[in-house]
Amino acid sequence: MSVEVTNRGAFGSALVMLQPGEEFVSEAGAMYRASGNMDIDVKTRKREGGGLWGALKEGAKAMFAGESFFLSTYRVKDNSPGEVGLAPILQGEVSSLEVGSETWICAGGSFMGASGGVKLDTQYQGLKKGMFSGEGLVYVRASGQGELLVSAYGRISEVEVRGGITIDNGHIVAFTEGLEYDIGKAGGWIASALSGEGLVMKFRGNGRILVQSHDRDRLGGALGPLLPPREG
Amino acid sequence: MRFEIQGNPDYGEVVVELGPNEELLAESGAMSRMSSHMEAKSKRLGSFFGAIIRKMFGGESFFVGRFTHPDGGTVAVAPQLPGTVTHRQMNGDHVFLTAGAFLACTPGVNIKAVFGGWRAFFSGEGAFLIEVSGTGDLFYNAYGGVVEKDVDGSFTVDTGHLVAFEPSLQYSIGGMGNWKSTFLSGEGLVMKFQGNGKIWVQTRTLSGLAGWLTPRLL
Repeated sequence: MSVEVTNRGAFGSALVMLQPGEEFVSEAGAMYRASGNMDIDVKTRKREGGGLWGALKEGAKAMFAGESFFLSTYRVKDNSPGEVGLAPILQGEVSSLEVGSETWICAGGSFMGASGGVKLDTQYQGLKKGMFSGEGLVYVRASGQGELLVSAYGRISEVEVRGGITIDNGHIVAFTEGLEYDIGKAGGWIASALSGEGLVMKFRGNGRILVQSHDRDRLGGALGPLLPPREG
Repeated sequence: MRFEIQGNPDYGEVVVELGPNEELLAESGAMSRMSSHMEAKSKRLGSFFGAIIRKMFGGESFFVGRFTHPDGGTVAVAPQLPGTVTHRQMNGDHVFLTAGAFLACTPGVNIKAVFGGWRAFFSGEGAFLIEVSGTGDLFYNAYGGVVEKDVDGSFTVDTGHLVAFEPSLQYSIGGMGNWKSTFLSGEGLVMKFQGNGKIWVQTRTLSGLAGWLTPRLL
């Protein structure tokens, strides 16, 4: 398997080459092109051994996070290699992360895909933390071994954390497990409201964080009122 | 005539230097700046009825802009959406563009809307394709990045992502995987290309953006 990030800049995308027997999982709807021998199988998100109830629970969580209920799995149907191209909806960069020595926690809206050896768990942030997080209630924990693809709205900057850093909720793409964090306000309640800096994630410890230059929710917030009201 | 594509791959546009009486035809509304003496006229494409039908079903404009002047001058044209602009030198060969992908051409290039049938209707690109032939310079645009692919055998493209393809390729509309995958994957229908030739696909779709925005309506 090889995962290549193509079209760097405003319109990032990724190209995944699969050998027979290998598989790659993506957010449903992320595929934009594929070789003729590529097969797709769609599954609901599920926790291992969770049964139907588990699947429903995971699905509901995914929907809260602004993600699809479904994941697509790609495999070649014959004995020759194949390829599948993946792209996000909005403008922005795509990045490929190694899962193995690091376990990554990825913001719900930034998850794009992962190779078969990566175990994906949707994580509920907990009421206190999740309720206030701009990125929705859910993070995807990517453990195991392989590649993880994330997408951002805007540019991606990587931050090496040594000690601590504060990042606006809506700007988190992914971070390495081991970093501890609290969700809080940037200042006092009034200062927060006035400065427009709502909730931030205060990280402590050592690790890596991918930060996106723009916030999807602010695009939605800016555009929503300009669009005509729904009919009926 | 000299041209330069600027701003690729994210914000592509074409700046054209026209010699005396040379002409550039551009998608209606695409001109962003030009020499102050340059004349902008309009030209109807194809037959009157063809143009009306195309407007109704193809989303492509009724008229194109025609830019020329006895002394020549500069014209810049930019697509409606950010993305990559591509140039193709036409040498009497043919290429198909999806409606909306046409940006500009020189007068020796023929552009003709052709009804693509029901399969085009389901392609997410409108029921009409633009068949380009003749000799000269052709410029076309995409929403997002453009991927050029040499197809030898079969190739699958998600509907809405097609930009252009050579006529040596045939396509059909179908699902991918089993019926469940087709309905649940968010890929819905895909275009399955067969044959030997080049294809250009774009990395974003406008309908994808619209779908993302819909739940954010007040």
